[in-house]
Amino acid sequence: MSGLDLKNMVRSGMKEVFSTMLSMELVDAEAPGDDLAKGLPRIVGSVSFAGKAMGCVNVHVPEGFAREIAANMLGMDIAEIEGDDEVGDVIGEIGNMIGGYLKSRFCDSGLPCELSIPSVTSGTDFRMEATNWNTHESFSFRNSAKSVMAEVFLKSINEK
Amino acid sequence: MSVKILTVDDSKTIRTIVKKAFAPYDCVMAEAENGVEGLAAAIKEKPDLIVLDITMPVMNGIEMLGKMKADPQLKTIPVIMLTAESGKENVLQIVKMGVKDYMVKPFKGEQLLQRAEKIIKLEPKQAEAKAADPLAGVLKQDGEFSILAMPEKTSKLTIVEMEGIFGAKLPDMVKAGVSKIIVDLTRTTDINISLVKVLLLILERCEGAKISVRLMGAKALAEGLKGFSEMAEVPIYATLDEAKQAF
Repeated sequence: MSGLDLKNMVRSGMKEVFSTMLSMELVDAEAPGDDLAKGLPRIVGSVSFAGKAMGCVNVHVPEGFAREIAANMLGMDIAEIEGDDEVGDVIGEIGNMIGGYLKSRFCDSGLPCELSIPSVTSGTDFRMEATNWNTHESFSFRNSAKSVMAEVFLKSINEK
Repeated sequence: MSVKILTVDDSKTIRTIVKKAFAPYDCVMAEAENGVEGLAAAIKEKPDLIVLDITMPVMNGIEMLGKMKADPQLKTIPVIMLTAESGKENVLQIVKMGVKDYMVKPFKGEQLLQRAEKIIKLEPKQAEAKAADPLAGVLKQDGEFSILAMPEKTSKLTIVEMEGIFGAKLPDMVKAGVSKIIVDLTRTTDINISLVKVLLLILERCEGAKISVRLMGAKALAEGLKGFSEMAEVPIYATLDEAKQAF
């Protein structure tokens, strides 16, 4: 587990997904922007890993940007997005693609694992906390002034 | 004759992307949310192609594929697997199960079309008119020039349509002798990022196919497009004659 270059994996995966599915360029950021500050609405797409690598990846997106992403991915105008379900499904799918990208690299690194189906959380004032993980890292990105954050919790079964 | 395509994916997003990718073609689309529904739909619809996700609730894609391969009625239906996982073991498992092809997410609709066209024959909609000329309705011929008329308003759907035309149909254009395209923007009034993306897509794809492209549009539109850095250096000619002379 310690040999995994998680930083590069997450950054490459996020950039590839946003570029291919959305034609959006993500750049690395030091920290999340104000649009991901506590108290502002956000949507989080999550998937979990289970196997020799255990953990989850959460992709945090500010609500306004999430609607823009959903419209882009579905080939619609933002005004055409009818409800939160469509936005949630798109952000869940983004989380699923990032999770799949990481899972593939874990498996190829000798840490076979299975991927859960994605789940979506939305709200304005919540904190996602997980305990007993060996690794907890957050990676921030920007597209113009809009923020995205990927958060990874991880441990291998040999590191209980 | 329409081809039937069944998409089995628990994500409405992916089902929508697949449906939009095939929208320019004469296809009847069916959908299912998991393997159980997918098997039922496959028996009922007898599709010509199934686009099948792996990770789904109730019954995943691997299990559905296994049941299809064990069913004499379903085992010959070609399947393209969609997976978010590109790991070697995952890919080997898929290939061993006898799928025609697989795609790793993230993917573009155009890439899916390219793979589908290796398996089934896709005809553009309005098949009768286009059977004789696959480019009918897309390009209007004016001597040695091919004119592509852009709509008044460009949306993200236009990008999908143009990806279909300038992806899968580009070899047809080259075969048909298309070498000079004038993109007619005279009807276009709405300048937005979708329009810029469409124009960049056309310029890039045609350059790759050695097709020359010139843009024609009103002065106001030309000035508006120059506000986008990607378009700042692309000349836009005011009249058809000017555009023709610029080749």
